[in-house]
Amino acid sequence: MYVLEHALLNLGRNKGRNILLGVIIFAIITASVITLAISNTTEAVISETRYTFERMVRVAPRQIIYGEESVTLEQFHYFAESEYLVGADIRENPMSMSGIEAIYFLKQPEMLYDFEAELRNKGLPDNYSVVTENATFKNAIGHLENLQNITFTFLIIVLVLGAFIMVLLSVISIRERKYEIGVLRAMGMKKKTVALGLWIEILTITCICFALGMGAGAMLSQPISNMILAGQTDSINVDVSVSILTAIQILGVSILLASIAGIVSISRITKCEPVKILMERN
Amino acid sequence: MSTLALQSVSYKYEGAEKIIFKDVNLQFEAGKIYTIVGKSGAGKSTLLNLLSGLDTATSGRVDFCGENLSEIDRDRYRAQKAGIIFQSLNLLTNATAIDNIVLSMNISDVTGVDKKARAFELLDKVGISQEKAHRKILKLSGGEQQRIGIARALAHDPMLIVADEPTGSLDGDNETKVLEIFQSLAHDEGKCVIIVTHSDDVTAMADEVLSLEEGIFRLLPEAGEKAPDGAILNQSAQLGARG
Repeated sequence: MYVLEHALLNLGRNKGRNILLGVIIFAIITASVITLAISNTTEAVISETRYTFERMVRVAPRQIIYGEESVTLEQFHYFAESEYLVGADIRENPMSMSGIEAIYFLKQPEMLYDFEAELRNKGLPDNYSVVTENATFKNAIGHLENLQNITFTFLIIVLVLGAFIMVLLSVISIRERKYEIGVLRAMGMKKKTVALGLWIEILTITCICFALGMGAGAMLSQPISNMILAGQTDSINVDVSVSILTAIQILGVSILLASIAGIVSISRITKCEPVKILMERN
Repeated sequence: MSTLALQSVSYKYEGAEKIIFKDVNLQFEAGKIYTIVGKSGAGKSTLLNLLSGLDTATSGRVDFCGENLSEIDRDRYRAQKAGIIFQSLNLLTNATAIDNIVLSMNISDVTGVDKKARAFELLDKVGISQEKAHRKILKLSGGEQQRIGIARALAHDPMLIVADEPTGSLDGDNETKVLEIFQSLAHDEGKCVIIVTHSDDVTAMADEVLSLEEGIFRLLPEAGEKAPDGAILNQSAQLGARG
């Protein structure tokens, strides 16, 4: 219990260093929140769009056909009378290969093969294909995939750089606090207790930064997402939100960062013999 | 049984050629004040490091109440059995005086007492006011810091007090006050007090005075007493400190 009290008192005793550490952790967490929020939302939008397009089935000739071989408008309407469908969009279109454009909306994407079998039974010739709207889907999500790739790359950079900075700060911090560690050890504090104290300090700073970073990230992710998408043609809006999933991921990232710092501290402390530290100092 | 006993203890620094002392046999008993004198660099502080469990002997053994220090938990020993007063104080400079002492009690698992009240009591004993007790160490004078170091060493009521130049920064009045504390600890409370010093006043109040020169410990005679023959305390002389 006293370790916790001592660690919390230490936060106030070493304001300068802790504020610097806090600013860096805050920046890492905010950047992670922004990238993860955008990435997760984009993923959700892509998934939703994929689901929509996987349910859209186009029935069209494989090549231009004329006369008897072509399916009539009535037949297309007849095809629409299926238990696998929630609706259909059938219209005459002189620009299309058969002069008619027919799109059917499946109840579930996995009903495609059953629906095709039904159409063949109802008289759909083999020279007509029954396919989902993959090309349209790929076109629709291209920008979103770009956005997701950008945010994912950025997230990796932030995490790698963040971990590197945390390790560096921990090493510097232990060097700076070597004397304090030497005194505590000379007083009889065990290595693991010293390490626990340092870990509590970094974890407390990380928790404060987590709360602040979540807030800042939530505010900044929408404008940043808009900024990235603004440069793209045919851009679509993504309503970015910080979900529970994002919060959990950030919490994981935060604990990971604090643990990296903790592990570095512990490994350094195990090398610290109080008599050597105090002799060096004196 | 001695509080502390050195048996054939030799010490040299890691990687160094020079042996600081060799085959030393010493015994320190409860209820006595021992002072160790000698030139700077003779190895007095090194001996204190061995006695306080901060360092280990190159060979030989140091026993505390019959237990070999290198075989017991030396962190626990420092936290609960030994009170160490460092020459260079070694206080947590960014913490207050009271925090330093309470932390020491926490590390030592002191229970059943109001730690703050005990800390204030100890500080008062060494002449540090309540107002100064709340100041950070760096905002106190060298003499005040030294007295806080003494109070901290006594906070967990150790059986053994090991002090390196504890009066070096003190004025006359405070030196007298501190020496009275040491005397009371040894003679009234039965503690074993071992002090490294250059001060004649400290040496004068000791029950036993040991000198260390060129790696050789000698038992010095009390004032007016004739130096005993063969009072060399290294193994070559086959002698221990007189009881």
